[in-house]
Amino acid sequence: MRNYSHILLISFFFALKVFSQTSPKVMVSKDYLLIKKSEITAGKPMVYRGEISNVEISSSTPILGNVVEEKERIRFNPVIPFGWNQKYTLVYDSTIEYFEITLPKKYKYLSVEAIYPSTKKLPSNLLKWYFKFSKPINQPSVYDNIRFTDTNGDTLDKVILPLNNVLISDNGLLLTVWVEPGRQKRGLIPNQQLGAVFEEGKEYSLIISKNLKDYEGIAMQQDYIHRFIIVDADREQPTINSWKISIPTPGTTSNLMIHFNEEPMDYGSTLSSIRIIDPQKKEIKGDLKLTNNEKTLVFKPLQPWKKGHYQISIDVSLEDLAGNNLNRLFDSDINDIQHGSPDTKEKFLEFVVQ
Amino acid sequence: MKTLITLVLSLILSLTMGIVKADSSLKANFVNGDPGIMSINSITFGPEGILFIGDSKAAQIIAIDLSAHQKVDNSKVKIDFLDKKIADMLGAAPDQVQITDMAVNPENDNIYISVHYGAGTPILLQVNNNKLKQISLADVSYSKTNINDPVAKDAKDKRGRELRKWAVADIRYDSGKVLLSGLSNKEFASTFRSIDFPFNDKQSYGSLEIYHAAHGQYETHAPIKTFMTTRIKGNPHIVAGYTCTPLVVLPMDKIKPGEHHKGRTVAELGNGNTPVDMIEIENEGNRYLLIANTNRPLMKMDFTDLEAYEDVLTTPVTKKGATAGVAYVNLPYVNVQQLDKLDNTFLMIQRESSGNLALKKGSAWWFQ
Repeated sequence: MRNYSHILLISFFFALKVFSQTSPKVMVSKDYLLIKKSEITAGKPMVYRGEISNVEISSSTPILGNVVEEKERIRFNPVIPFGWNQKYTLVYDSTIEYFEITLPKKYKYLSVEAIYPSTKKLPSNLLKWYFKFSKPINQPSVYDNIRFTDTNGDTLDKVILPLNNVLISDNGLLLTVWVEPGRQKRGLIPNQQLGAVFEEGKEYSLIISKNLKDYEGIAMQQDYIHRFIIVDADREQPTINSWKISIPTPGTTSNLMIHFNEEPMDYGSTLSSIRIIDPQKKEIKGDLKLTNNEKTLVFKPLQPWKKGHYQISIDVSLEDLAGNNLNRLFDSDINDIQHGSPDTKEKFLEFVVQ
Repeated sequence: MKTLITLVLSLILSLTMGIVKADSSLKANFVNGDPGIMSINSITFGPEGILFIGDSKAAQIIAIDLSAHQKVDNSKVKIDFLDKKIADMLGAAPDQVQITDMAVNPENDNIYISVHYGAGTPILLQVNNNKLKQISLADVSYSKTNINDPVAKDAKDKRGRELRKWAVADIRYDSGKVLLSGLSNKEFASTFRSIDFPFNDKQSYGSLEIYHAAHGQYETHAPIKTFMTTRIKGNPHIVAGYTCTPLVVLPMDKIKPGEHHKGRTVAELGNGNTPVDMIEIENEGNRYLLIANTNRPLMKMDFTDLEAYEDVLTTPVTKKGATAGVAYVNLPYVNVQQLDKLDNTFLMIQRESSGNLALKKGSAWWFQ
């Protein structure tokens, strides 16, 4: 009965799968391993990754963790939680046992929830992609798992700018990937040597491999494929005067909509560059989101609109898909640069709620 | 006799106080506890055993006192299969582990390697007798400061700020300043920051503009990949390496808040390449600049050549794959991923042609 209760407890704690050699005197969860104190006569328990034989132990590196002596048990806390479906070797005294924690049947696998730009037609000098994942991803191998293919299925070379420290949001969900700027900027050697990454008029697929793992080391179950067509390069700065504003109704929290003249804008820079200012010159709190393939910004205030003059503040570093901002083109000719005034950090549009 | 004892005691006391004062000038505002490190993107040593950590995730710089670590003899350091060993230590697969940086404490020759696991869990390892040991960061003597957002109003925009990431690319300490380079996901631009140490509220940030000779007529806003501080003709300078691969120098006194700086391009080290690390080696009065690269061998540049070069490269390098500017030699080490000084030579993490990732010393012969 006692053994049975152990099994129940083990099942309760993260569904442990114990191999045949593992006795009920050992209990494992993702975060710790417990051994009955009476089972250990000397030394500390050691845990190794993989199934290690007796002769291999002396040449193997044990897992980092601390050992805590409790009243009746010895507790081993690994620095990194034990992985799902990963085999381990436990060594104490002269005993060797193997264990593995099986993945729960209802495990929610990693998936791609959104991709920006979402529009299917993209300028050949596109600069950035954003990927929104369902859970934090495994960062070390991220670039190995993103590739672009042409219609023949051939993988394109040197598309992504690999960074030692990946650009990922604090919650680990939004990944920013730069398309190799050296190839996207005219006049640079990689551009001259290899040409722009994408050719106008051609269709490509962006593939996020099913081998991409989540933060717990479990891979996505299927490839994520996004097809797109390349159109002409965008060599024009966004001009805010061409934007159209759908003005909300006073007394409601209806949407303020800003239409970017049918031009999709860069997801990250747009959401962090636009603020709505009330007649008292205070920023209005509310919810900003991009819709219509990032061609429209929707702002929903927390409080109802009041009648009056409002401003839309736009940071000049707001970019279109090709990295052109309100002050400059991404690859300005060095003889022809007209920097905006260094003091001009933002531009304004105005509207009246009435 | 009593006078003599008093004198000796006073002398001891004054000496002790002197030591405490000297030791505490940089660590006066250090506190004990958990600094809340969320990532270790880049590390470097300052004086008095202070390790500086660039933490992009928490947008902070942390200074940790590691002076209590005993002096070690790492003259015969060699660890093979470093990536596999680290993965084994964490009980993880090798593709879940990333070595983010390596630093040597010049005062006691201890070697430290920073590692990220999975979604970025930071681990700091110390090399001890060719074995790896974890350094706990939960209870240390530290001081820290936030990396201020250069666009202050972003701080008000919660929605925007969570999207905006600034990843530390490199970090160095020089004469009371912690210097940082990085790249944000918002704009492809070189951002460079200078933060006073001991930390206070004052932070300078600016961008470094370069004329990229290999890149012809189009302006580049490329971010700095790696940099170091040095003295050129006795004056403090920054030497910065960019992708593809211009080498740029800039006097440190020109880094002023909010200013846009134009560095002097002194060498083009070849296209199709990215510099990954650079250090200065001094031996018998001669100084050398070592640059590790992604697609070129380890480069050695003599500082006398660098100091003698007063031109600025402004015209494109037309010959394909060619280099220009200050002369250098290639050393027979390829795929060097991390670099720092050890003894009078260099320590590296190198992916050898066999596939073995090794932590090892380079020969001092190259600098004799």
